Amino acid sequence: MTKLILSTGNIVSGGPSIIRKPGVYRSNLELTNSLRSSFLAAQQDYAADAYSGTGSDSDNAAGTNGNGFHHSASAWIAHEDGVLYVPRIDWSLAGLQEEPAQYDITVKLFFLATAPVSKRAHYANEALDLVLKELRVPSVDLLVASFPGMSFDGDCEWEADKLNATQGDDEEEAATWPAIEELHRQGLVKRLGIAEFGSEKLARFLKRVQIRPAVNQINIKNCCNVPPPLVKLAKEQGIDLLVHSDCTDILSRGTLRELLGQGPRGAGVLADSESGSDGLQGDLAPQWVVKYTAVVRDRGVIENKGYFAGAGLAEV
Amino acid sequence: MGLLALGTALDWPDAKKQAHLVRAWGIKQLLEIWNKAKGKERDALLWGDEVEYLVVTYSDDDPKVLLSLRQADILTALANDTALSGKGGCVPELQDAPNSRTNAPLPVFHPEFGRFMLEATPGKPWGIDFKELLNVEPDMKLRRCIAKDHMLPNEYPITLTTFPRIGSPGVFTDPYYPVSGSRLRSQFVPDEIANPHIRFPTLAANIRSRRGQKVQVNVPVFRDENTPWPWKDPTVNYDLHQWPEDDDVRSGAAPDNFIHMDAMAFGMGSCCLQITFQAKNITEGRQMYDQLSPLGPILLALTAATPIYKGFLADTDVRWNQISKAVDDRTREELGEEPLRNSRWRIPKSRYASNSTYISTDPRLRPEYLDPDLVIDEAIKQELLDGGMDDRLATHFAHLFIRDPIVVFDEDLHELDLNKTDHFENIQSTNWQHMRFKPPPADNSIGWRVEFRPMEIQVTDFENAAFAVFMVLITRVVLSFDLNFYIPIQRVDENMETAHARDAVLDKKFWFRRNLFPVRPPRSAHNSGSTTPNGGLSRPATPAGPVEDEYRLMTVNEIINGTAYARGGEADGGADDGGEEDFPGLIPLVESYLDSVNVDVVTRCELATYLDLIRKRASGELWTAAKWIRHLVANHPEYQRDSVVSEEINKDLVGAVIKIGEREQKGKGFQGLEGEVPELRMLLGAFRRCL
Repeated sequence: MTKLILSTGNIVSGGPSIIRKPGVYRSNLELTNSLRSSFLAAQQDYAADAYSGTGSDSDNAAGTNGNGFHHSASAWIAHEDGVLYVPRIDWSLAGLQEEPAQYDITVKLFFLATAPVSKRAHYANEALDLVLKELRVPSVDLLVASFPGMSFDGDCEWEADKLNATQGDDEEEAATWPAIEELHRQGLVKRLGIAEFGSEKLARFLKRVQIRPAVNQINIKNCCNVPPPLVKLAKEQGIDLLVHSDCTDILSRGTLRELLGQGPRGAGVLADSESGSDGLQGDLAPQWVVKYTAVVRDRGVIENKGYFAGAGLAEV
Repeated sequence: MGLLALGTALDWPDAKKQAHLVRAWGIKQLLEIWNKAKGKERDALLWGDEVEYLVVTYSDDDPKVLLSLRQADILTALANDTALSGKGGCVPELQDAPNSRTNAPLPVFHPEFGRFMLEATPGKPWGIDFKELLNVEPDMKLRRCIAKDHMLPNEYPITLTTFPRIGSPGVFTDPYYPVSGSRLRSQFVPDEIANPHIRFPTLAANIRSRRGQKVQVNVPVFRDENTPWPWKDPTVNYDLHQWPEDDDVRSGAAPDNFIHMDAMAFGMGSCCLQITFQAKNITEGRQMYDQLSPLGPILLALTAATPIYKGFLADTDVRWNQISKAVDDRTREELGEEPLRNSRWRIPKSRYASNSTYISTDPRLRPEYLDPDLVIDEAIKQELLDGGMDDRLATHFAHLFIRDPIVVFDEDLHELDLNKTDHFENIQSTNWQHMRFKPPPADNSIGWRVEFRPMEIQVTDFENAAFAVFMVLITRVVLSFDLNFYIPIQRVDENMETAHARDAVLDKKFWFRRNLFPVRPPRSAHNSGSTTPNGGLSRPATPAGPVEDEYRLMTVNEIINGTAYARGGEADGGADDGGEEDFPGLIPLVESYLDSVNVDVVTRCELATYLDLIRKRASGELWTAAKWIRHLVANHPEYQRDSVVSEEINKDLVGAVIKIGEREQKGKGFQGLEGEVPELRMLLGAFRRCL
């Protein structure tokens, strides 16, 4: 099993990939578009470096890794301690401009249906570590856990609330939460949150947790009527209802293959037997995605925003 | 309005002699504060809005609506009532506000140039907590309520930009004063129209005196079916012989087809909506000044609310140029009408005009964007450079300092006080450009600020809050996404002219930058460059194509809503970056910003309502106030299709505005008002129908 870490870098001043398309409310376009531009930019930069001879000698470039990955095309990818960084990350560029106290840092961790529930504690640590390293901060203000198979969808939020009650998997969510609570206990996260919990699901969830979420993110479309039961419950429990526009199933197997594959919009990292292209071989499964946002607290300026995604490549 | 120091104001011939001294001392004060404050860092975003009102008298049984000249009495009443409460319905209203700020400081009221005007600001500046943005509208309503409570029962604060019949023959003020006074020498308005504080009549008199003639505010008349053509302003009196200036109209000051006005009150008596932002430091302040500058004309067109002057429909929709002409103190030599003999240079613009230069240190500011013919005082620039200021900022101030001070108080000229900024402010605050870059006050207690000045006041506080909040969000978007709105400054001037056209918001196109996004810095540049991540401010010089390729003409709809929305389409799926001509639109940019920050559901919905209003104004789904007013006039039974806005039409127009205001104050929504106010749905849509 090879681990892949995909990253976007700071996308906030990265141009159009952050701009919402009219009429599109919940989507993973921001993630996929910014991963794509991140790959492209890295390929260009390291290709230029290779020509000018300034960067990336082969000290830690992806060597032969047992998966048949051809290292000549890999200057923009790093292979370190059994992890493939796509693209390679220059940690010397990490960090925020001012001291951590100036920022409101929100992290949203997407657990995915394509990865085992038993590994979620590990994923949470892995994802948060990367964010802390990228922002060079000791802790974050809010960590929102997003579980697969949930949505807050419907013609209006009333309907969404009803539908929501049957979605997701109560057992898995409850089983995951202690790992999130542990991050809070360790002081790495000040407040915890969840996403897409309607009133019924939320009520059930609250009965099973030790540390209650302080935030529930819901997706509102055109109508602003939050279902009264949810408003009431949130108010009673002191839970902030915040708006988001992500979808829960943010990175599917197919999308990941397309991003890394040999297709016209792929990064050319995966092998393709049809075209005879070299590259990674095996069964590729997304494990988690994490989104981080650092906002200068009293100025409302987003200084850094980006994504990491973790995936596993199983040899076949 | 600037400083209200008391003292002996010098008449123009004496003031003129002191102009050099005031400038010299002003520059010393500027350097002092610049040195003190240039290293200021990390100031929070604080911002404030200013709402200006006309005070009118209105009652059902009085056929006339008049401008009330009781400003001083009203301000005294407000000042004496320290609690500003306990009267009328303001207090419950405040408590009903969704996020009422208990113990929040009460609003502050200020005098304005017009003696029929009031200005009100929040008691303390706003921050950027998103919930706090929702307090703006209730606070504006509270201001209006408090103002009304300190007026006579038949007086109302209204937010029309101009009083439709100011300067019309007959009575239009309460109390009445005869025209043709010694200060304004206007044949249309009395001297008493201006605030009696010595600063204001001196300002008006010295502008006239410096200019050597009365100001000439000529607005093209709207030609309707029965408008005589050529149209000769029937209110102009060619037989007046009271003052030498009465000759102006006999020597061509009032051309055919223009509504002719001759006094500062016609311009400075206009109400606007101004927003001031505090920047984190001088660099960010300069960046905001530049980036908001090209947005000025767009927001002017979008807030258009001024279709009537002196009782006639004008062929323009906004106030800007009229104010510009109303305070134009340029001599004939400076105007280029006579060869330069006594004046130092030709000056292409009035003191009140669109920005003339950019000031940021942003490497994206290409020299081609600047005006090569910018008039500056070279000696002053040199003094600023010698004092350590950089070329670009020195150029900006050396441009502002080509002007003379207009109001000079004898008492201030005894000695230079570097703990004050009065002389600097004297010049700075009488340069009325569409943006203002404000250094901290002498005690350095607050940060560098930028004022956004072009917007016209809107009829309701809902609309005023919407535009104020929109502009605040835009500044956050610009800073977060590091957007680039630069176009050549002369194109901004052009856009400012374009914004004046009738229905420019729908019918005209404006120069706007095609690609707002920063160029991604390559990693190698990072490695070799500075070590601190700096939000992209020091990006490498990008290969620059012709400047002309960087911008194109766009409609306000395209600029505000994006090309996809303007085409009427949904998401144009497929390509990520879209075609070359795709433009994202300011509202989608604001939405993308809001998607990336934590906002609670209620707040986001309220903000969405504000964005919806602006979206619909830009797309034409709703009308600007200017269009709505034109519609009211055109469909009034008294209207003769001759461009004349009669007393009765005026009364019904002001009456409609008062009704809307009263309904808004009650907080019960506009539902059911359509029967009484024509086409209210086109002005306000379904917004705030019920609360």
